[in-house]
Amino acid sequence: MIKQHPLTILSPVKKDKAETLDKRLNIIRENLQQGTETEFKKVSTLHYGRWVILNRESFRDEPSVPVGTRLIFSTNFDGDKDNHLTELVTQLTRYFDDIYDCCEGYPEEGARTIENRKNYLKKYSIKTSAFFNGAPGRSVQQIHQEKRLRDHIWNYISNNKWNGKTTAVEIHKAIRNEIDSKSEFEWAKQKAGVQGIKWLNITGYGLLLLVAIPLIIVGALYLFLFHELWNKKQTLTLSQLDDKKVNKLKEVEDLFPQNQFTQVAVLKPSFIRRLNFQIWMLRTRVLANNVFVHGKLLNIPTIHFARWVLFDNNRHVLFFSNFDGNWQQYLGDFIDQSGWGLTGIFSNTVNFPKTKFMITGGAYDEEHFLAWSRSTQVPTQVWYCPYPDLSIKNINNNTKIRNELYMDLNEEQAKIFLKRF
Amino acid sequence: MALLELSEIQAYLIKDYKEMGSSKYYLMQVKDATAAKRFIASVADNITHANAQINETCLNIGITSSGLIALGYNHEDNMHTFSREFREGMVSPHRQRLLGDFDSSDPSKWQWGGPANERVDLILMVFGKNDAIAENYFQHLKEKFEAGISVVHILDGKPLPNDREHFGFRDGISQPVIKGSGINAAGNNDDVNPGEFVLGYKNEYDVYPDAPLLKVPQGKPELLSDNPGGYEDNATGKAFKDIGRNGTYFVLRQLEQNVNGYWSFIKKQAMDEHGNTNNEEATKIAAKLMGRWPSGAPLVNHPDKDPGPGIDSDDNNFSYIKKDKDGEKCPFGSHIRRTNPRDHFEESPPGVSLKLTRRHRIMRRVRSYGEDFIGSAENHKPNGEVGLLFGCFNANISKQFEFIQYTWANSPKFKKLYDDPDPIIGVRECPAAGVKQNFTIPQKTVNKVIPNLQSFVTVKGGAYFFFPSVTALKFLGTI
Repeated sequence: MIKQHPLTILSPVKKDKAETLDKRLNIIRENLQQGTETEFKKVSTLHYGRWVILNRESFRDEPSVPVGTRLIFSTNFDGDKDNHLTELVTQLTRYFDDIYDCCEGYPEEGARTIENRKNYLKKYSIKTSAFFNGAPGRSVQQIHQEKRLRDHIWNYISNNKWNGKTTAVEIHKAIRNEIDSKSEFEWAKQKAGVQGIKWLNITGYGLLLLVAIPLIIVGALYLFLFHELWNKKQTLTLSQLDDKKVNKLKEVEDLFPQNQFTQVAVLKPSFIRRLNFQIWMLRTRVLANNVFVHGKLLNIPTIHFARWVLFDNNRHVLFFSNFDGNWQQYLGDFIDQSGWGLTGIFSNTVNFPKTKFMITGGAYDEEHFLAWSRSTQVPTQVWYCPYPDLSIKNINNNTKIRNELYMDLNEEQAKIFLKRF
Repeated sequence: MALLELSEIQAYLIKDYKEMGSSKYYLMQVKDATAAKRFIASVADNITHANAQINETCLNIGITSSGLIALGYNHEDNMHTFSREFREGMVSPHRQRLLGDFDSSDPSKWQWGGPANERVDLILMVFGKNDAIAENYFQHLKEKFEAGISVVHILDGKPLPNDREHFGFRDGISQPVIKGSGINAAGNNDDVNPGEFVLGYKNEYDVYPDAPLLKVPQGKPELLSDNPGGYEDNATGKAFKDIGRNGTYFVLRQLEQNVNGYWSFIKKQAMDEHGNTNNEEATKIAAKLMGRWPSGAPLVNHPDKDPGPGIDSDDNNFSYIKKDKDGEKCPFGSHIRRTNPRDHFEESPPGVSLKLTRRHRIMRRVRSYGEDFIGSAENHKPNGEVGLLFGCFNANISKQFEFIQYTWANSPKFKKLYDDPDPIIGVRECPAAGVKQNFTIPQKTVNKVIPNLQSFVTVKGGAYFFFPSVTALKFLGTI
């Protein structure tokens, strides 16, 4: 099973090159939107990629440390990081040279090699605090392969009358014979590894949590008395947000069945808040690695990849997400399905809707939470996805099709298999 | 729970006026703000509110964002507290993508409300027992508004014949009921908090919906009450006046229905190998697409055949999980299962699903136009253009109307589907190259698929309106 990893690179932009950079990124974006961009898909290990310009204006709240203009590059990739970086700078050399020519520290023109480009990226890459993968173990290649397999079977089923065969088991066998006869699906015979819920880890973590209950109660009380009570009530609503900003976000939304979300927030300055944030990151890491392995992050069934990244000395946090559907649905899901998680995490950032014991208020304060989300969102200049026509549910379903195809199924199981189409 | 101030709320939100044989919607433009305001102030007392006795006529009024500005409610800080969807209107590049208004439905081709049409500021909704009464009433009103307002387009609607829309299906069965409005809900999940439909009350998240506030005083602010959400002027500490309270937003879309195209397509799907059409089979397929039989009976309870008019025609008390988890009776992709998922919202457990579904309801107010025609597999050629004046009320256009249209109807990825838009209202006329549009009918073994869906509903016009309370109308007369 090939593991997927996050990559985040944060580079300072040369003062006089911010505008040029913006223009260059916009050209790539337009080409992507019009479908004329052909380079990205040559990077075989690349799931999602984005470039985001982060400057003072990106921060809704006063930053904790001075911020200049920086460029974020983020990918979700398969396997080895070094190999991914090599692919990036060899397949996308022109993009990287054009773009990072505008950034500090990139090798000078004429002196650029694969190695020093890679070293540059390594030097400016920053650590991920928590990472979610909606289809653990599925490489880009596997996702494409399994889509072809599903489409082939779908067509085969549709083009057949199935008059003679009546049981699901017989149909399942016929489908397998069909795939057996096609050499391009040879790979499907090997079962794809799927990550299961790691109960042992969870039990361990649960026990730890039990032991820590007194600490948690004291902590929550302390937070409530000395922090939450003093937090300001938030009154910003969606209607009041800056039109120009919202329009810039909407300009690049709903162009495909999938969308992106980039957000930057400022952590509350107190030590306990920053510590609490780290605790929530730990919690999210444990859950994402051990429990949320079947395509649902905090019960939300539409997220392909998401990550939290602390930076600027752990004073600021970035949140990235790649999801199915649109903003209203996505944020609504966050409130409906996992308001507690979001509240726990983001209540440690400045001007988040007021909470009580990190349980009520916060994300459940729908109007103000939505306004907070929109106003801390940052426009994504370039966003690439190699499989925009697949939902995360489709991807996980396709793997099940592949794995069930070569299993001996009983009638009930075969019926479930057929319902996948 | 807050009691609804019924005498403040325009009655069309609460009542469907089914007894009114004629519904005339006058789309109008402000020509002279002073005269227009005079009319609005004078007509406020004649507005049919939810406590009013309904006799021969009803009158309601809605205002677009351009209308508010034209009337002089033009202070940027005040306008900016109206919801973004309302302020932008139904036509914007992003909204076009959300609502799927492309090809023949492109706003540039609309008959009203589009960029090529005259600006719409107001909608005057005149209802009468019959056409003559409505027309008479309108002429009487016209004398009062003529000096300041002109009519740019008229929509001539009437109640659906036998409650059937033109494709032939019973319509308007599932309808939410506003808690506190004094009406009993028909379905088990239809009692919805007032704030989903009326501004100034708490919604299904137990918070107040985003409300338009009078941030900068204009006219006679003392007419308005303070906003209940606790928004106040930071400088003075005084609560802002609320122009939205007891008001709501109204969505209106004129949807032309290609009845002949629809039934011809369905009948083709029901043809046997020899090319013979089978009307009974065609009706069954049509019912699968809809999720109900033409009579209205839901497929969940009547999977095999239409029990006929009168039997469960108004059944709205069913749910999916227990009876039809796999969609073998009512397909996941069917129109009614998508637009009101009841206890089967995504993969949430039934109790949670019901709660979540209540956050995405609309109060439908639908009229038909064109010939009184009820289509069927046997009879599907109406004379001239027929369609629906689809209307709905909601407190949050983005979370309700637009969510249903985009996330539930247009998105082919609804639930676990791959390429299945809503077969009635979500199909693109000219999909992008390589994009499939299917309808999947789950079966015991091999699912049946209807490929290459076609679009039989065309948008001909549309707009978003603010429906002020009676008091807010009086206030607008004073600005």
